[in-house]
Amino acid sequence: MGLFDRMMDMFTIVANEGHGSVAVVFLIGILFGGIIQYTRVDKFEKIAGFAMLKDTTVPKMLFLAIGIAAIGLFFEVKLGYASYHIKPMILSGLIVGGILFGASMAILGKCPGTGPISIAEGRIDVLVGAIGGILGAYVFTKYYDSFFEPLMGKSYGKETLLNTMGNDASWSVFVFGIVLILIAIIIPNRELLDEADLSQLSEEERAELESNRRFEIIT
Amino acid sequence: MKRRLPWWLGGILMALLLLFTFSIFGGNRPLGASTYVPYFAGVLFNMDPKDYVYLQHVKNPGAWEGVMLLGALFGGFLTALFVTKSFRFSVMPTAWKAYKNGSVVSRLVWSFVAGFFLIIGARLAGGCTSGHFLSGMSQTAFSSMIFGGVVLISLIVTGKFFYKGEQ
Repeated sequence: MGLFDRMMDMFTIVANEGHGSVAVVFLIGILFGGIIQYTRVDKFEKIAGFAMLKDTTVPKMLFLAIGIAAIGLFFEVKLGYASYHIKPMILSGLIVGGILFGASMAILGKCPGTGPISIAEGRIDVLVGAIGGILGAYVFTKYYDSFFEPLMGKSYGKETLLNTMGNDASWSVFVFGIVLILIAIIIPNRELLDEADLSQLSEEERAELESNRRFEIIT
Repeated sequence: MKRRLPWWLGGILMALLLLFTFSIFGGNRPLGASTYVPYFAGVLFNMDPKDYVYLQHVKNPGAWEGVMLLGALFGGFLTALFVTKSFRFSVMPTAWKAYKNGSVVSRLVWSFVAGFFLIIGARLAGGCTSGHFLSGMSQTAFSSMIFGGVVLISLIVTGKFFYKGEQ
């Protein structure tokens, strides 16, 4: 199959798979891209800034989203409108993968979800990162059986709070969700701003920002 | 119009999008954003799924995320153009210049290397910020909590030693 046929094949797979129509999946993507761009969490200053502990927008938004979604999803599943899809505990894969992922995220200042949104706003350095990523995926696919699958190690099952807490399972989900929401609120609100962020503000807003110590401004 | 949303509104909207994606009205599956990369690598390098068992694993989720990614590029582009007005071609993030160095070559080489290992890492762990953090932790999955903990430590340690603390 040629490149064009294989791209068309992608739409056919989605259309026949039963995980939402092509239009719905595309819409989920639009909303995903829109939220990430509108909150500016695709910016290098937000993600690398978090790695340097100078910007906390990403963890605050992430923990809040997880906390709300954990509680919401519990009800969705109870009412029969959704089901759980758990990833296995492949311990060495999670640890080795997590170390590589965290270090790379600090350096690139993007993750696989926010990277494409950055490319869509004209970031050429991230496009170069994406080419590296495609090459990484090629190497992973090519040496999956011989190197990467053995490295990932054995799976310790698909455990969750819900299936290990017995009678307290429901409560544990609420406690988990509420604790995450509280963490999101408690994390000090710090931001690393550059000229591009400031240029969109009025004079008064800018003066107010510059006198506020929760903002660090890059000059 | 405000050019950006505060973190709490972003968090609420992202939670709603996650719940929609999980529901039978949406995708009836988790939200993920790293399985599309090997899927596209297979397409671009014209790799035959018959020869590569991993391509068979990622066939369906990769296609789903591929379509979602096209939507994300489209949604991100429109928002950058009309809402946040952030669209401009650039090679050097402001904070890289302030806390690392002013060299474009250094930025591009590091981007390439980090992009390479970012995807290797995500595929080893079986997910990324979307699949593990957002979708996995919302399901209270232990695998995602382990990944999340390791990533946070690795991210902050790298941030401490890779960048200069002062401008």
